[in-house]
Amino acid sequence: MRKALLAGLLLVSTLAFGQGAWIHAKALLAQYLIEDAWARRLNGEKQPKPWSWADTWPVARLEAPALGIRQYVLAGATGRTLAFGPGQVPGSAIPGYEGNSVISGHRDTHFRWLRGLKKGDELRLQRPDGRLRRYRVQGTAVVDEKDTRILRQDGRTVLHLVTCYPFDALVPGGPLRYVVTAAPVAGEQVF
Amino acid sequence: MNRWILRTLALAWAGGLGFSLLAMALLALWPGMVAAEVVSPASVKQGSLFMREAEDGQVREAPLLDTQVDMEITGILARVRVNQEFHNVTDRWQEGIYVFPLPEDAAVDHMRLWIGERYVEGEIRTRQEARQAYEQARDAGQQASLVEQERPNMFTTSVANIPPGASVRVEIEYQQNVQYDAGLFSLRFPMVVGPRYISGVPVQDREKSVGGGMGWARNTDQVPDAARITPPVNPGKGRPDNAVSLNIRLHAGLPLSFVDSPYHPVTVREVADGEYQVELEQGSTPANRDFVLNWQFAPGTDTSAAWFTETYQDYYYGLLMLVPPPVEKLPRTPAREVILVVDVSGSMEGDSIVQAKQALELALKRLGPDDRFNIIRFNHDAYPLYPASVPVTEANRAQALAWVRGLRADGGTEMLKAMALALDGKTHDGLLRQVVFLTDGDVGNETALFQVIEDKLGDSRLFTVGIGSAPNGYFMSRAAEHGRGSYTYIGDVAEVGEKMQRLFLQLESPALTDIRLDWGQQVEQWPQTVPDLYAGEPVLVAVRSKQPLDGVALSGNAGGQVWSQRLRTAAGEEHPGLHVYWARRYIRHLMGQGVSGAGADWKQRIQAVALAHHLVSRFSSLVAVDKTPVRPLEEMLDSQPVPTSLPKGWSANALFGQLPQTATPADLYLLLGLLGLLSSLLLYRRRA
Repeated sequence: MRKALLAGLLLVSTLAFGQGAWIHAKALLAQYLIEDAWARRLNGEKQPKPWSWADTWPVARLEAPALGIRQYVLAGATGRTLAFGPGQVPGSAIPGYEGNSVISGHRDTHFRWLRGLKKGDELRLQRPDGRLRRYRVQGTAVVDEKDTRILRQDGRTVLHLVTCYPFDALVPGGPLRYVVTAAPVAGEQVF
Repeated sequence: MNRWILRTLALAWAGGLGFSLLAMALLALWPGMVAAEVVSPASVKQGSLFMREAEDGQVREAPLLDTQVDMEITGILARVRVNQEFHNVTDRWQEGIYVFPLPEDAAVDHMRLWIGERYVEGEIRTRQEARQAYEQARDAGQQASLVEQERPNMFTTSVANIPPGASVRVEIEYQQNVQYDAGLFSLRFPMVVGPRYISGVPVQDREKSVGGGMGWARNTDQVPDAARITPPVNPGKGRPDNAVSLNIRLHAGLPLSFVDSPYHPVTVREVADGEYQVELEQGSTPANRDFVLNWQFAPGTDTSAAWFTETYQDYYYGLLMLVPPPVEKLPRTPAREVILVVDVSGSMEGDSIVQAKQALELALKRLGPDDRFNIIRFNHDAYPLYPASVPVTEANRAQALAWVRGLRADGGTEMLKAMALALDGKTHDGLLRQVVFLTDGDVGNETALFQVIEDKLGDSRLFTVGIGSAPNGYFMSRAAEHGRGSYTYIGDVAEVGEKMQRLFLQLESPALTDIRLDWGQQVEQWPQTVPDLYAGEPVLVAVRSKQPLDGVALSGNAGGQVWSQRLRTAAGEEHPGLHVYWARRYIRHLMGQGVSGAGADWKQRIQAVALAHHLVSRFSSLVAVDKTPVRPLEEMLDSQPVPTSLPKGWSANALFGQLPQTATPADLYLLLGLLGLLSSLLLYRRRA
């Protein structure tokens, strides 16, 4: 009886641990596959799928030079997409172009680095045409998930990075979001 | 002492183990608790519906709006005057922009800009010219108003230079048809533009949009004017809703058995024989639900085929109304194949999905033993119940009923796939193929959908059913016309049974098919192919000719029998407004040509027709400019879109009320797993 309980505990624990490790592994490995897809996107392929059954594709490359971050932004922001990379919220502008672009990512995988961003830090976006656009962080804020003001298109060109808050909360599904707002570097055109 | 510390540690460890076991069990049993990985209400692939509430500050500052509606109904035509009064409640000069709905067959032909006791009559111009004239006047500080058509059922009024603390009134006049169905006359006045699902990928604006382009959505490749058709929504905090008051004069010509409004309490007075006065009981109502007026002739009045004529600017116009015989005198019905298509997207959440399910169950129960059927459900994807239609057996019916009861509303709306699945592009000998398309139709890519219908229709008949508070009636009735079917609107759960029963009864009872009309001369006739005549629904045909119209010979197929009749024009009778109806039908036809891509000059032709009949269309607008400038040019002008109300019964959260979920339970799993593993290790060592 005790042996069976022990074996059960061992099994459940291994499964739980495995599940947690799997989420991290998926997040990490997928970015390598997406890197390939991004190369194809730069070569002109319209919606390059990173793997054959994928329902998403990369739309931009996001960099934070000071933190050594280089990530691929996917189309869509559903749970399925966000498991593999940060996602462009549907209806927001294509990252790197005019308008309000909103990118969301998981606080415990891809977007954990957002906590390290400070006002004035540089962010870069590479667009599908290969061009880079530089942004500066204007500020950070914690908002409620119902506060959809950051999704508004008001004619300004701006970049919003969104992730869950607080960063270290164990149980997911909380109502708070951490928002980083960045604006294109003034007077500078895309180069 | 040491023992005490050890015991405390052991207790703490045991507690921790218990907690983690419980947590793991919870995680395993209840994946919904950690839904981040699993579901998201916004799981749409392309585009999205952002329910954008207007920001509080912005809403308070936007001009307040009162609407007064006066209707004059004569027989089957209604002449409607809408007065929109914009109140500027700020101490700055304002421009008011209001996106509002009108009936899908509304023909707007007059607009007046009222400044105090005098008015400026609106002129019909091409859309671009009108906009230029308006903007010039606005920038020069003159008062001006502009009425533009965004969709046949959606218009925008812009008013420039409303003085601080003052009001400006815009009067719009249009004509529409009274609906007639199974002896019941019905008139609908829409009050709210529902937030629409915008499909497609956002495009970059080459030019900054002006005027109505202040919506919550960005223009996309499939909906290039998305920003113009998505006005901000009033969050309802501190700002009153746009109020509407109604005053209706009804000249029925004959005594009525009843006059009533199903959704708004009204008072009805008979002011003369066959003449009624209808008003809202409350005086005015918030503009969040469509107004409907129903009336019926007293029993004993026989309604039959009717023929009206009018002479206007060198042309002769006519309107033919075909009324089917009573149900008990109908010919035998051929075997049918019924395809039921149901919308289960997120915007159907709430009342609508309940209504849809009730309707489907009813449809399944009414199928006959010789019929075949299939069901297709769709949101951003489409799934058929069976790969192909199956015969009606008790087993199939039970399976279908169970399937229908399990339907849930979720996801985006993509009608293209569903429509392509439902239509097979074939002709069916001896089988009447009827496709019933059930949706709240709040989509913007009508053009692409019409293309599918045109390509794949075959000899299928398409019947559309609009449910919920704000179905896109234009799309629905146009789709039905393309598909030689009919359009049914259901606004209230309590009406589902009655209205659907009537539709299914209608589907079972064609009165006259393959209808032919002989005018004895060259005429321009709309619709060109006359639809089938079903029990309970009349068929309307508009014609125009250079020669006087002296009548028409009708023939058709009534259950295998040849049927024919002849109608003659009564001398000296004139029915004003028929030319407006004809022009509207013609424009609708031309818009359909735009769909099929035939003829590059269709825009010019629409413009020409609209200008000749003084009509607002997608390519012609009414503009009124006051000569005298009122705003000192050194003072700024504020542009404010007037927020619209959310349709009654809609819940904002089911659409898109929040930011994406962005956390995984990864670390929780890791920690619990680690705790569990450590515990097993400890337990194992103690045993050993």
